[in-house]
Amino acid sequence: MEPIIQLKNLVKHYGEKQVLKGIDLDIYPGQVIGYIGPNGAGKSTTVKILCGLISDYEGTVIVEGIDLKTDPLAVKRKVGYVPELAELYDVLTPAEFLGFMAELYGMPKEVADERMQKMLAAFGLDTNLHQRMDTFSKGMRQKVLIISGLLHNPDIIILDEPLSGLDANSVIIVKDLISKLAKDGKTIFYCSHMMDVVEKVSDRIVLINDGSVIADGSFEELQNQQGNQSLEKIFAHMTAKGSLNDAADQLMRAFEN
Amino acid sequence: MNIVNRFFLNMVMLPTSIYERMGVDTTQLKSILKIKLAMDDRRPSSFQQNRAQKNKKPIKLATLGTMVLTLLMGSFFLFSFFVGNDDVTKGTIYFSMYIFMLAATLISDFTSVLIDVRDNMIILPKPVSDRTFLLSRLLHIVVHISKLILPMTLPAMILIGINRGIGGVSSFAFLVFLATLFTIFLINALYIFILRVTTPERFKTIISYFQIFIAIMFYASYQLVPRLINKAVIENFRVGQSTWIWLTPPYWFANAWNLLNNADFSMGAIISMVLSIAIPIASIWVVIKYFAPNFNRKLSMISGSEGGAAPLPKNGKIIRSTTSIYLSLVSKWFSRKGAERMAFLLTYKITSRSREFKMKVYPSMGYLVVYLVMIFFTNKKISVSDLSYGNTSSKILFISLIYFSSFILIMASGQIQYSDKFKAAWIYFTTPIKEPGMLISGAIRAMIVKFYLPLISTITILSIVFMGPAIIPNLVLGCANQLFITAMVGYISIRELPFSHAQDQVKINFIRGLFTFLIPVSVAGLHYLVYSFMPVVIILSVLVIIAYWMVMDSIRKKSWVNIITTYED
Repeated sequence: MEPIIQLKNLVKHYGEKQVLKGIDLDIYPGQVIGYIGPNGAGKSTTVKILCGLISDYEGTVIVEGIDLKTDPLAVKRKVGYVPELAELYDVLTPAEFLGFMAELYGMPKEVADERMQKMLAAFGLDTNLHQRMDTFSKGMRQKVLIISGLLHNPDIIILDEPLSGLDANSVIIVKDLISKLAKDGKTIFYCSHMMDVVEKVSDRIVLINDGSVIADGSFEELQNQQGNQSLEKIFAHMTAKGSLNDAADQLMRAFEN
Repeated sequence: MNIVNRFFLNMVMLPTSIYERMGVDTTQLKSILKIKLAMDDRRPSSFQQNRAQKNKKPIKLATLGTMVLTLLMGSFFLFSFFVGNDDVTKGTIYFSMYIFMLAATLISDFTSVLIDVRDNMIILPKPVSDRTFLLSRLLHIVVHISKLILPMTLPAMILIGINRGIGGVSSFAFLVFLATLFTIFLINALYIFILRVTTPERFKTIISYFQIFIAIMFYASYQLVPRLINKAVIENFRVGQSTWIWLTPPYWFANAWNLLNNADFSMGAIISMVLSIAIPIASIWVVIKYFAPNFNRKLSMISGSEGGAAPLPKNGKIIRSTTSIYLSLVSKWFSRKGAERMAFLLTYKITSRSREFKMKVYPSMGYLVVYLVMIFFTNKKISVSDLSYGNTSSKILFISLIYFSSFILIMASGQIQYSDKFKAAWIYFTTPIKEPGMLISGAIRAMIVKFYLPLISTITILSIVFMGPAIIPNLVLGCANQLFITAMVGYISIRELPFSHAQDQVKINFIRGLFTFLIPVSVAGLHYLVYSFMPVVIILSVLVIIAYWMVMDSIRKKSWVNIITTYED
């Protein structure tokens, strides 16, 4: 099978600092990739390159056979992006904001209107369609953001910490949605710090540290390599510099004076 | 979308076929512009930035409101057409005011409106070509500036239209256009300059200092200029008598206008014409060629989306405590150990660092200083030789100076309850604080030390130098009164913990404001009456000092019951 996303020797510098040190990845349609790593490992840089926010990278990114450098627009049409922070124009209403997103993707208005109403209703926001988002809670904003990334029915969905601010019931909805989208043939790139969720939703886990991939495989494969333990433990084992137990001991010893 | 925005949108979308030939997706362009204009309509303008955060009424039609205000300001500029008797003088003054005001407005708008860093996250991942995005940004700037300059210049256009007919108006409009280009360059150059000399993190602070400075300058010019120049001088005023005037761009624009209008083909006029056309075009070219590429990237760094945490100090050095020796000394002298000292240090540091607090307090302080200077300038009867102790003018000056400073103190301490970060006030509620009054008294003390101590030290030194030691009893009474008034106002009006509430428009009611300002004025009057009776002055000083201690003590003893303790979430 042809990979839907190919990263070849992806390198990115910020000034002197090398953030990505040559990432190679082949991602296949229908996969849910759990992309994990400690802060500063280069996770969000990879995501920003994939969705066209950063264009001065070295190496090649090919999405559905199209090179991101030669035809970024064609790639962007196939990608839906849900950013980490609730970055949206909050003086607008969901109807206005999502309508705007749909126009940028060139969707027919009727399709977009109907779709956004259905999606908002599914999240229980149907009554807030014409309410300005500056009054919304964090969870409500996150729901609008998730919808804005899915509205144009993209083949590839990049989710950056999509569960932040959501309540437990909405988390169930989104997790369920992720597996249904994958079954439908969508490729999902899931970035998160929440190891238990990554462990459950993703069928392939890519762990990066300090700009390079240090582990790549299904959760079972990782367990075979690293011992039969939770993803959280595997993650700590592979990325923490000292022992985390020692840190907790040090914290406890601080009470001794 | 209101009619004004729709008009401008249709105007800038007129050359659709040209845009398409440039390779721009006009459907996307139109929807980006539409959404941007709709958002402008809901954002408080630079004139209403102090609006209440919690004001529930959503902002609508901000565009129209701003335009009406701008129109009013434009009518103010008409004043220049009544100065002097030649067009060059009138024009120079008009263009100076125009460029100054336009620059002042654009300085704040550039970061908050025109370069919205959220665009990067929202629009860039969408299939929008760079060209479309760039053009949308450019057209948005054009519309935004048009919405400013059309009402700003409309009054002058009408006046010129009546006096000079269509020719006058069109030549004037042409030069206004050039002056606008020049101003945009000015703002850009200023931004670039600030970004060069400082880090993006400090950028916003510096821009806000600029805004404070401009607000004060603006107030000062409207207060001082009409008073300094008397009427006869105004009517015969002429610019262009000295050569330095050539350094000021408004003079070129005025001269060029004179050339077009009165067919003045003197050497000076021709040079001005060339300068007026060449400089704006050259400067815009410079901006596009050299500044723009770096500009957007650097500006997007201002939002902090690029840089993560601040870089750690090299080789693991521990950063020294930020409490300076001075601060730790005064906090020991002026506050009690425990909650009061914590509130003292917190208030002192937050008011030094919070941009929000500075923006609220410093301009009004500047206005007061301007006002004071104005009294000095216009009252020519006061001279240094008169300042000896005992004569009437020195008495008035002394009293007004000393009581004037209390406005600054009252104003500053009136702000300590408010903060954008009011939610951080949970610390007061989750910690076992027995007497929350300690927090308030610590905060008031910090304000006294910060805003009053330097001021009163200066006044003390100056008055002893100029008036001799005989002034000391009155000085003591004056200071004691100040402190007493501040404590009283604090006791009555500060019923919330420091930085624990969002600024609420309703609370700043005019009557109460007036009342708090009447107290120092009436106390000043009483002081004036007893000024020469030394025994009375001394006895009063002692009494007021005792009263001050008592009031401060009862602020300390305020319990949770006397304080509005709702934690706002």
